[in-house]
Amino acid sequence: MSALLEATEKALELLISGDEALWQIIAISFKVSGSAILIATPPALLIAFALAYLRFPGRRVLVSLFSTLLSVPAVVVGLTLYLLLSNRGPLGDWRLLFTQSAMVVGQIALAFPILVAMGHAALQSADKRAWETARTLGASPLRAFFVVIRETRFGLLAALLAAYGRIIAEVGASMMLGGNILNYTRNIPTAIALETSKGEFAQGIALGAILLLLAFTLNGLLHYVQGKGVQMS
Amino acid sequence: MKPEYHLQVSQLCKSHGRRLILNEVEFSLPKGSCTLLTGENGAGKTTLLRILASLEKPDRGRLRLAEQSWQPWRKARRMLQQRVMYLHQHPYMFDGTVEYNLRFALGSRVPQRDAEPLIEKALRLIGMESFRKTSARTLSGGERQRVALARAWLRSPQVMLLDEPTANLDYESRQRTLELLQRLRNDGMTLVIASHDPLHFEGLTEQRLHLQAGRVEAVELNMNPATQPANVILMRRDYA
Repeated sequence: MSALLEATEKALELLISGDEALWQIIAISFKVSGSAILIATPPALLIAFALAYLRFPGRRVLVSLFSTLLSVPAVVVGLTLYLLLSNRGPLGDWRLLFTQSAMVVGQIALAFPILVAMGHAALQSADKRAWETARTLGASPLRAFFVVIRETRFGLLAALLAAYGRIIAEVGASMMLGGNILNYTRNIPTAIALETSKGEFAQGIALGAILLLLAFTLNGLLHYVQGKGVQMS
Repeated sequence: MKPEYHLQVSQLCKSHGRRLILNEVEFSLPKGSCTLLTGENGAGKTTLLRILASLEKPDRGRLRLAEQSWQPWRKARRMLQQRVMYLHQHPYMFDGTVEYNLRFALGSRVPQRDAEPLIEKALRLIGMESFRKTSARTLSGGERQRVALARAWLRSPQVMLLDEPTANLDYESRQRTLELLQRLRNDGMTLVIASHDPLHFEGLTEQRLHLQAGRVEAVELNMNPATQPANVILMRRDYA
């Protein structure tokens, strides 16, 4: 018990003192996950919109596919992308393996189904009169699309927060695709896994606290956003 | 005197799956007239309005717009979109103020300085000047209906389609809506009103289209000769 307290005390010291290595890991995490969300969101929203508003052959299959992809473990996504990006893989020439770009690709693959499935659910349950009213008031399809996005913004923001929460805490894909290289591809979850395996709990606890704080913040935001959405409807 | 029409429709058919909703529907809308569209639930009233508003595609049909010649539906669709405005039974209000909702109708086609007097005029038209900064989502059913009418009016449509505009409104709200419709009609706008309650619109409409099993079953003309415009004509009755 005293070892745990000692490690926690040291963890707090690391956080408060602004330990460079620790904050570097945190920065990498936010940079990689932020990039992944920024890249994945626009196409995911377009697909979610198409699935909710257009009728085309195979639509139901696609909806089922994205729902299924929600439950694919991060490590399987990591393994698949590893095989594709490794030297012997079809995309080996891109030399992406063990880079932050590879981690971003992995996190996009994890975030995408969440964004599409939850975005689709939000758009599907949205009032179709928003689109129709915009169109009858002379809005172009593009303007009407942005109207619908605006009207469903709380549901879509919930999708975004859920996706971000998932990727910033995942370890499997980041470990396999990034390689856990210090000051380059080591992010919060991979650092926690490494430090714990070495018996160095202080940094693990400090990083874990950051993740917990982030989880509380995201959940708080999620509840706030969902409450707003309920108020609006 | 040759009648003037805003819209003539012919051979209009629409089915949902195997169910035939509209079957060879034909009618004409004289300029500045008010047409009452009646029929039981599921008779195809809303479908007909939605097709006219380009929110649904018909299986086939032909269309003639004012000064133009007869055209296949898909060719005339774009022009139809510009001239016809549809109001849902329960109008949708965008999340924002009444002003935001009205401004939306003007889009970018009207410069900011010209938009202001138009919005003021629209608010005066519906008697809701003091509601300018009110959140549109907090309005009552009757107030929403009036904002929706003002919003549609700002688009300057030739034809306005209204789906049950007085449904679920109390007496006062209904009267206000009817007054507003009368004003729009007096301004030369052609109105089509789908309703289960023809009595509500007695003083307003001069022709009635009754849909039954997808067909125009009966057409009553001159329901109220006192309000009948000079150019009333129309309607083929041979498919009833």
